[in-house]
Amino acid sequence: MEGLLLLVAILLPAVGSLMVVFLPWLNERREDRCFFVGAVMVLEFLVVLLIALDSERTLILFEMTKQLPIALRSDGTSRVFSALMSLMWTISGFYSFSYMKHEQNEKTYYAFYLMTLASLMALTLSGTMVTMYLFFEMMTFISMPMVLHNRSKEAVAAGIKYLIYSVAGATMGLLGIFMLTPNIASPYFVEGGSLMTGSLTIPHAAFQIILFITLVGFATKAGMFPMHGWLPTAHPVAPSPASAVLSGVITKAGVLAIFRMIFYVIGPDYLRGTWVQWALLGCATLTVFMGSMLALREKHIKKRLAYSSVSQVSYVLCGVFLLDTMALDGALLQMVFHALTKDALFLCAGAIIVKTGITRVDEMHNLGKNMPWTMWMFTICAISLVGIPPLGGFIAKWYIAEGALMAGTPVYSWLVPIVLLVSAMLTAGYLLPPSVSAFFGGMAHGEVASAYREKADPSAMMLVPIFILTLAILVLGIAPGFMIETFTKLANSLL
Amino acid sequence: MTLLLAIALPVALGALLPVFRLKTGNRNLYLMLATLLTSALCAYAIAVDIPALRLISLNNKLTITLRLDEQGKIFCALVAFLWPFAMLYAFNYMKDEHKQTSFFSFFLMSYGVTLGIAMSANLLTLYVFYEVLTLTTLPLVMHGGSQKSIRAGLKYLYYSLGGSAFAFIGLAYLVYFGGQTTFVPGGLFKGISLMHTQQLRLGYLLCFLGFSVKASVFPLHGWLPTAAVAPTPVTALLHAVAVVKSGVFAIIRVTYYSFGASVLAGSYAQYIPLALTTFTIVFGCTMALKEKHLKRRLAYSTVSNLSYILFGAMLLSAQGLTAGLMHLIFHALMKIVLFLAVGVYNKRANAYYVDQVRGLGTTLPLLGVVFTLSSLAMTGIPPLIGFISKWALAEAALLIGGPLPLMGVVALLISALLTGIYLMVPAVTMYTRPSQGNQLTPVEAGFKVTLATLSLVVLALSAYSIPLIDYLARTAAQAM
Amino acid sequence: MSLVHNFPFFSILLCMVAGIFSSMLKKEAAKWVTLSVSLGVLVLSAFTLHLTLGLDDNYPFMMGHVPAPWGNEIRIGRLEALMATGVSAVLFLSLIAGFYHAPAFVSEQKTNLYCIMVDLALAAVLVLIYTNDLFTVYVFIEIMTIASCALVVVRQNGHTLVAITRYMIMHLFGSGLLLLGIAMLYGITGHLLMEPLGIAVRQLVLTGQYNGPLTVVIALITAGLAIKSAMFPFHGWAPDTYAFAPPLSSAILSGIISKAYIFVMIKFFYRVVGMELIISQQVHQFLFICGVAGMIIASVLAISQRDIRRMIAYSSVAQIGYVYMGLGMGNTAGVEAAVFQMLVHATVKSVLFLSTYELINVSGDRKRFRYLHGAGYRNVPAGIVFTFAAMSMVGIPFTGGFIVKLNLAISGMAFGGWVRALVLIALAMSTLLNAVYFLHTVVSIYRRPTQELVYPAVDPMPRYAAAAMLASLLLIVYLGVGSEPILQVIETGLKTFS
Repeated sequence: MEGLLLLVAILLPAVGSLMVVFLPWLNERREDRCFFVGAVMVLEFLVVLLIALDSERTLILFEMTKQLPIALRSDGTSRVFSALMSLMWTISGFYSFSYMKHEQNEKTYYAFYLMTLASLMALTLSGTMVTMYLFFEMMTFISMPMVLHNRSKEAVAAGIKYLIYSVAGATMGLLGIFMLTPNIASPYFVEGGSLMTGSLTIPHAAFQIILFITLVGFATKAGMFPMHGWLPTAHPVAPSPASAVLSGVITKAGVLAIFRMIFYVIGPDYLRGTWVQWALLGCATLTVFMGSMLALREKHIKKRLAYSSVSQVSYVLCGVFLLDTMALDGALLQMVFHALTKDALFLCAGAIIVKTGITRVDEMHNLGKNMPWTMWMFTICAISLVGIPPLGGFIAKWYIAEGALMAGTPVYSWLVPIVLLVSAMLTAGYLLPPSVSAFFGGMAHGEVASAYREKADPSAMMLVPIFILTLAILVLGIAPGFMIETFTKLANSLL
Repeated sequence: MTLLLAIALPVALGALLPVFRLKTGNRNLYLMLATLLTSALCAYAIAVDIPALRLISLNNKLTITLRLDEQGKIFCALVAFLWPFAMLYAFNYMKDEHKQTSFFSFFLMSYGVTLGIAMSANLLTLYVFYEVLTLTTLPLVMHGGSQKSIRAGLKYLYYSLGGSAFAFIGLAYLVYFGGQTTFVPGGLFKGISLMHTQQLRLGYLLCFLGFSVKASVFPLHGWLPTAAVAPTPVTALLHAVAVVKSGVFAIIRVTYYSFGASVLAGSYAQYIPLALTTFTIVFGCTMALKEKHLKRRLAYSTVSNLSYILFGAMLLSAQGLTAGLMHLIFHALMKIVLFLAVGVYNKRANAYYVDQVRGLGTTLPLLGVVFTLSSLAMTGIPPLIGFISKWALAEAALLIGGPLPLMGVVALLISALLTGIYLMVPAVTMYTRPSQGNQLTPVEAGFKVTLATLSLVVLALSAYSIPLIDYLARTAAQAM
Repeated sequence: MSLVHNFPFFSILLCMVAGIFSSMLKKEAAKWVTLSVSLGVLVLSAFTLHLTLGLDDNYPFMMGHVPAPWGNEIRIGRLEALMATGVSAVLFLSLIAGFYHAPAFVSEQKTNLYCIMVDLALAAVLVLIYTNDLFTVYVFIEIMTIASCALVVVRQNGHTLVAITRYMIMHLFGSGLLLLGIAMLYGITGHLLMEPLGIAVRQLVLTGQYNGPLTVVIALITAGLAIKSAMFPFHGWAPDTYAFAPPLSSAILSGIISKAYIFVMIKFFYRVVGMELIISQQVHQFLFICGVAGMIIASVLAISQRDIRRMIAYSSVAQIGYVYMGLGMGNTAGVEAAVFQMLVHATVKSVLFLSTYELINVSGDRKRFRYLHGAGYRNVPAGIVFTFAAMSMVGIPFTGGFIVKLNLAISGMAFGGWVRALVLIALAMSTLLNAVYFLHTVVSIYRRPTQELVYPAVDPMPRYAAAAMLASLLLIVYLGVGSEPILQVIETGLKTFS
């Protein structure tokens, strides 16, 4: 049947997850389990690639009521997002095989890891609003156990905070879905949106308020102000590979939802020039600035990276909300680069914590001597994140800034580039000093020199994934052509 | 005749239980047979169309008559399906309690009386059974015998009788203006003059307020959380299914089959109930959030969810009524599972408060799954049934349009969020590590079977509810 | 004129003769005589009822051979026969249930006296039901007052003496008003027999003569009867009297005797004055307000009572309020409902007083509520009867009280505006208030006692007493489900009443 591959993409990790839970022989030895999980993830990535190369397919799963089909569809956006997410998931997965040796309850971790992947794939492959909402909620609930994995008090509190924020955001989104359903021509996602603006069932003013609430709601997952509160608490408390995917991948799910709502349901033309766009841009810009400022104050490395995510993902949102081809291009680039970069940074942080027990940035001086590989990769990623050419982050931010200038949105056309610039400086301020001190830091007063003499680089299993990511950042930074081409094509089709 | 038998059998057998003085095993058999037999009678009555049966005539217009139409069949089916489960659960739950005979006696009698409400052909009959239901459920609420239980029972009594007194006013209006109290789809007053319409609306509003005591609409909901002190089978069945749903059912009957949507639509008689129910939706959830005692939390949740049903019904449209009926059934299923699970936690794990459920997810896995599933369903996570009814309610509201329905939709969403918090937080807490080990006594099979089966029903309906929804839609369309 | 036509006269005669006779008998024999007399009256009245159901109109009956308007005359119709039957049935059942504990209240020597007074009271009630002339009304009202006084004071303790003093003052005052009114009416019209009196009054109304005096007459007579039937706010004598009298006496007074006064009032309104005049003079409004106020306020006062018997006494006042509300509505439906309530209340209140006594008896003779915990288990029949009677008071379906509420509500609906609102709200509030004190008591008697209280062993209630109480219970339920024929009789009876 048509679209079978789509179903496979969802079921493969789901079934794998269930097998991990229920098959005892898989769990007898750690190595068996890790091998299995690894195999599932690689297979999944291959399936996703196949979908990406295939033409657009649709598959109706079932009908909740006659007007609400639950359907999958693999259009341009799906392919981009699913490929990115699946890849990141696999890389972090391999890292975790080594990392999780230091944690307990691995079985449940991997089970939920795979199940979250399944829900993410379903989310990216959703073909209608309600399908997307369904998997969005499902993904929240399935990803939560990863947050509260170590079951400490902070973890549980953080998990619950994550839950509450996410449900609140999804509920806000649901409001929009309710209001939009009678007003769109087709329940399926349509490029350019299918809003019947001439015959809205409620007055425009009310409608716009609701749209604003909806988009802010979905932006919760992406950590945009004012719904960012959960992110700095939830990301750090999870095990590092989980933090990596939370920051690197799951935030993109929020971006996806906004993407879908703006470009496939409402339509950018309706929003352009309205106060909704300005307000959203305001929130995004504020988040960019605020995230960086707060990251600066934060001394715990994972928390610093979490705040950094808050800021960086809102770069993406800025680009999206500008409703301009170039800005959108930049947004997509930023998304990819942030995913790669943040993922790598979290993995490095994980390595540092696990190997040396260091959790604060002011303890990181001279670390470069003990963990050269880790710190080199950390530095490269940091540079990319700041946006220094020729690394990837620069291109993304450049495109966004130029898009802002070209879009001609009042105020924001100059505000966005300024904020980007300021944020870049702040990013440098919070990422570069640790890197620098790792390599050039002197000894603190009274410190014993021998304490840090052993080589503490993590095992290959942990290093190689980080290496792959860093390599990708370098390569794509220098030769972004293919990516830019794909994204420009996509952006043009949407705007 | 079947109808009368379905009511009289449980009432008589229940009343006679103390006379027989059976041993526990025999007594349970007796009770289960009585319950199953009655349910079988109901099933028969639902499948076959039975003509009305007049029992007593007060005069040629005012009679006590039984009849099972589509609307009644829905309620009857729900009650008849759930009572055997509750009975099975009660056997295990009440094992070590005192005064078991009087408990089961009234428990069984209440079954018959609730069926009487479902099978009423006119408002007088419904009113009669409604009053009697208060009396037969009163000893169940006060069962604990403590000062608290007695106070809860008296509060329940006064609220209920006060409510009935006002519902009685609606009855008087019907008799005076309509000459009869028979339930007619579309109401007795299609095409009546304007002057009378005004008076009818006032009568309806008072009637609504009267029945809304059992349906726990703010500000008349106060008895329900207090009544959570009753033994769990009572709370679960009566206060999540039978008693409160009787109130809702009565309101639906009075709205659509007595006064009629055409009389009420567009007037304060519609707007005030809509406003009250919208408020209650949010109010119930807010109070549930503050409440740390598990059963009271669920009781407040019931308060909120009942107003979902009434909100749908008060939209006075076929879609609104359909959505309300959907939630009537779905909520009953989800809530009874939650209450029964909490009952097991109370009895076997000594956990009465939210923070006491730590670790129970791992030590009592089946219960944890069941509780989490129902919590997800109640929150309205697709594709579970809670989402389907909430969607239908929102859709119906948006179809009507206007400020009040819109506020209702917002209230629904806020409530969904709050429900997520107050239900999922215990669900999550269950899987965290307890500070010390849980004190557990073993959980009997009877509990597990009941909970598992009901959860499977929830899942089954989540997957495939279209025929049911169609039936409800047809009934609703007829009622307009 | 068949034999049955004479039955009303026979029943009155029977009572009076028995009374005289009883003065010579020993106490046991006297009790039996009284019992047989009430049974006899019941049978005779039943036959009369049957007769009148066959007749279209009511018929006059000459007392002696002197025709009206110089001789005395009684009139017998459906309504009267129904009332007589009801009253005697209630009395009969009450006597069976209540006589056995008379020794607790009545000393040996006084038993005769007690029985005589019961007979006399019954005779007076019958006369008042059947009479057609105002003078007889006054005489027998006085007789009834004195008989009632004796029934109360036969129990000698401080409470009853105080109560009876208040009773006598108020009742004699009421009688005085009544006498004044009757005298004035006689002065204006020259008639005492109700038929010609009625015609004369209507003449006067047409001509417009004596408007003032007529109003005064109506006011005096109504007020007098209202005081004597314990209408709020003239009820001051009732709580203590009903509470402290022997239970059987309370049953008779509250259940039967108070109804006679109201019946006289109805007769007065219908036959002498005519309802149109009553309505045009707004008298019914006054009765309505007092009735509604009584319903609510008396119930509120009942809630605060610590002694169960006083609670029930206040409840009586409230229930009389229902009757006056019905009367005060002024339309036929309202009066029908009022009459039906009279019958229901007679049945319920009498058995209520008696069962309460039984419950107190098994609770160590303590009247406060916390001592009554568990009484329902110590005396099962009394508990069950009390529960059903309480349910009727509240107005739970399947009991007579519910039908009363229903009829009052429906007759109230016929009015617009504030009358309708008052009726419905008063009924609703009264239901709730009654629930508060009655059903609370029911819950109390079925609670297990909290402290270990010692209850002295008492002899169990004799079977016949329990049977009589259960018979009353059946009557209450019958009034709840089979009220249709009775209401029919009342309706047709009222049509021919004037």
